Amino acid sequence: MSTKTAGQEFIKGLWDENPVFRQLLGLCPTLAVTGAVINGLAMGLATTFVLIFSSLVVSSIKKLIPSQVRIASYIVIIATFVTVADRFLAAFFPPISKSLGPYVPLIVVNCIILGRQEAYSSKNKMGRSLMDALGMSAGFVLALLILSAIREILGAGTFFGYQVMGAWFKPWIIMILPPGAFITLGILLALALQIERRTKSRK
Amino acid sequence: MKLSTRMVVVLTSIGLLSGSFLATVGHLTKERIALNKQREIEEAIIQVVPGTVSSQKLYEERDLAVYGGKNEEGNLIGFAIHASGIGFQDKITLMLGTNTSLERTNRLAILDQKETPGLGAKITDRDSFLKYWENRDCGGTISLRKPAVSAAEELLPSEINAITGATISSEAVLSIVNNSLEHARRLIKEGKLSSEAQDVN
Repeated sequence: MSTKTAGQEFIKGLWDENPVFRQLLGLCPTLAVTGAVINGLAMGLATTFVLIFSSLVVSSIKKLIPSQVRIASYIVIIATFVTVADRFLAAFFPPISKSLGPYVPLIVVNCIILGRQEAYSSKNKMGRSLMDALGMSAGFVLALLILSAIREILGAGTFFGYQVMGAWFKPWIIMILPPGAFITLGILLALALQIERRTKSRK
Repeated sequence: MKLSTRMVVVLTSIGLLSGSFLATVGHLTKERIALNKQREIEEAIIQVVPGTVSSQKLYEERDLAVYGGKNEEGNLIGFAIHASGIGFQDKITLMLGTNTSLERTNRLAILDQKETPGLGAKITDRDSFLKYWENRDCGGTISLRKPAVSAAEELLPSEINAITGATISSEAVLSIVNNSLEHARRLIKEGKLSSEAQDVN
């Protein structure tokens, strides 16, 4: 059982335990879909949906599941919500569904989601699990937005598809290619570590 | 309850519940997803066969479908060939509009591609690539002009400017077009494709 207040359960996901910058989880979608802000946002929201509902279901039936089959049960529950998200995007937002391609179905194996079930929802009540899921999702969305904003602005000169750089700007194509994802993530991780060290030494 | 029984019961019920839930979701979204696909194709036909008010599927097989675009009077004004093939990284799907004798192209549209952004992905760009496909002679084989010439008038009637730095993507589109045109002509010769719809099954 956690000793934190419900608010702290939410806040921790934003920075202290941010899934991308602090725990280095869910890096596959983080690297793959952040070439454009709209894709990063859609991916973040789809993951949020899956994480919230999986956490709610897992925490509500945690006592029924024998621990030997818990991972298999979590995967089935997660896969169910992933499929719902995938179908929903294909039905109502076909262009986004097309540009995210296989990465929506791949949320099934996103470590953030399985990790939170194993580390949190299977041991805590529904309300707290919801706060935890909301915090982690917000942290994930935040990370995707930062990464995709940097990559889209430098790599295409646009933000959310709108031109933000002047005509003088020559897009750095490498930023929307896979190497750009690694470079940006590396710099952001270094920054996150640096900020962490500064705040620690101040304490 | 014995542990092994409990394991079976729990996993089975989770599986059943999620299965039935997904069946409902699938049922609710199926129609809309099919409609989206159909709309995408219809929009592409109107784009590549200008003047189309209604369209009709004339032939279909794996990686190739031929649609007929019709004007207000219901006369066939052109074919729209929906074809796909391998590009530089992944499948490229395109729609080529031709006249009714398959001898002249109208327009080309790229529906799906995952080419390199900034290079191969220029195959979706009108000014760098697609405009060269308008009104070309496609009675024979279309060929690629490399290096590209700046004045479009210098191109032969059956030539297309290649994209500088993305020869593989340009060639991929070219070969999909040439193959599907050849295929369509063969279908006409064999009587499997005509201006009237027929049962392809």
